[in-house]
Amino acid sequence: MVIALRDLHSDYAGFEQLATIANALETVVFETITIDLSGVQWIDANMCSPLGALLWRAGRNLNAIALANVPGPVETILARNGFLANYGAAHLPDNYETTIPYRRFEPRDYRDFCTYVRSYLVGKGLPVMTSALLSKLQESVFEIFGNAATHAETLLGIYSCGQFYRSKHRLRFTLTDLGIGFRRNIESRLGLVLSGEQAIDWAMNLGNTSRVGPVPGGLGLKLLREFITKNGGRLQIASDTGYWELTEGRSERSQFPCAFPGSVVNIEFNTADTSSYYLSTEIRPEDIF
Amino acid sequence: MPEQLEMRVFEMTGTGVCVASDDGQVVYEQIAAALRAGHAVLLSFANVDALTSAFLNAAIGQLYGEFGEDEIREGLLVSDMAQQDLVLLKRVVETAKAYFKDHDRFVAARAEVLEEDHE
Repeated sequence: MVIALRDLHSDYAGFEQLATIANALETVVFETITIDLSGVQWIDANMCSPLGALLWRAGRNLNAIALANVPGPVETILARNGFLANYGAAHLPDNYETTIPYRRFEPRDYRDFCTYVRSYLVGKGLPVMTSALLSKLQESVFEIFGNAATHAETLLGIYSCGQFYRSKHRLRFTLTDLGIGFRRNIESRLGLVLSGEQAIDWAMNLGNTSRVGPVPGGLGLKLLREFITKNGGRLQIASDTGYWELTEGRSERSQFPCAFPGSVVNIEFNTADTSSYYLSTEIRPEDIF
Repeated sequence: MPEQLEMRVFEMTGTGVCVASDDGQVVYEQIAAALRAGHAVLLSFANVDALTSAFLNAAIGQLYGEFGEDEIREGLLVSDMAQQDLVLLKRVVETAKAYFKDHDRFVAARAEVLEEDHE
C-alpha cells in the first residue's frame, strides 16, 4: 500500500490530510505501508508529532512502515529532529539547536517528559525569553501533557515534537495522543452528545469540565487559552472530526470530513513576548483559601 | 488552636516536578488524614519547581469535596510558593469551590452549548 503525502503545514489542511490518512489506515493489517514523500516540498517539523502517532499506530497493527522518496531538504528536517531515526535513517545533529526532537511517551512518563521539555527549552539555541514567559511556556506544555494523560485514556502513547522559527520569533510545540478524543470523552463522562468541533469549543470554555468524580478539574485548557491570548500566540486543536483554532484571541472551528483518532494540540508561542504574567497585587498564602 | 503538622510536597511525592494527578492524590490523602484527625497542616512547596492545575486539583482542590471552606481556611496553610504558583493555586481553589458548590452549573452548560448551535 502506498500513501502519497503532500506538504504538511500546521493548519486545517495539514490536519485534514492526516485525518484522511488515519482513515485510510484504519483497517489495514499485515501490509507494507509506504509513505511516498516525492511530492513534498515542506513539512512543519512539529507536525511529526501527529504524523508519527498515526504511523506508530499503523505499525502496532502489524504493518511494516517505510518512508520513500524523501526530498533532500525535507530529509534534513526530519533527520535533525530524530523522526527518520524511527524508520532506519541516522539522527543528524541539530547544529542550529532549533529542534525539539520527536519523542514518544507513555502517559505515566511525565517526569521524563518534564526533563525532555527542560532540556530543549532552556540553554539551547532557543531565544532568551523572560523568566515569566519561560515559566508560563513550561507550565502550558506540562498542563497539556497532564490533560492527555488524564483524559485521553490512551494505551498508545503521547507524541511530542517542536520547532523554533528564529526569524519569526515563534516556537511551535505539538502533543498528540491516540486516545478517545474530546467528543467521546465528554459523551462518555457526561452523556453530552456534541460534534467534534463543538466538543473542543465546549472544553475550552471556563467552567466546563468532563470531570464527574471527587477531583475537580477543567482549568488546564482555559489557562492555556488565556496565556496564548495574552502572549499573541496561536493554539490549534484537532480531535475526532473537530478543528479549533485560537488566533489573536479569537477562536474559529471547522469540521473534518473524517475523524482524527485522538487529539492533537499545537501551541505556537510568541517568543518575543515581554509581558508580565504576574498580578499587580500580590497574593498572600493566607488569602488562598 | 489545633496542633500544626508540617508536610513537605517534595518529600511526599519524591520529586520537584508536581504535574501529575496521581502525585497530587498522595498529597491529598496525607492532608485529608491530618485534617480529619483535627490537626492543622502547613504544606511546604520548598524545592517544587513545576506545578500544574491537575496536580493541585488532586492535592488541594478535592479537599473542598470533604471539608468546609472554614475548616480548610483554618486548617491549611501553604508556604514556600512562588507568586506565580500562588496565582495558580488561587485559580484552582476558586474552581474547586465552584465545582463542589454547584454541580448543576456544569450540567447546565450542556444545554447552553446545544442551544447556541441550534440558533
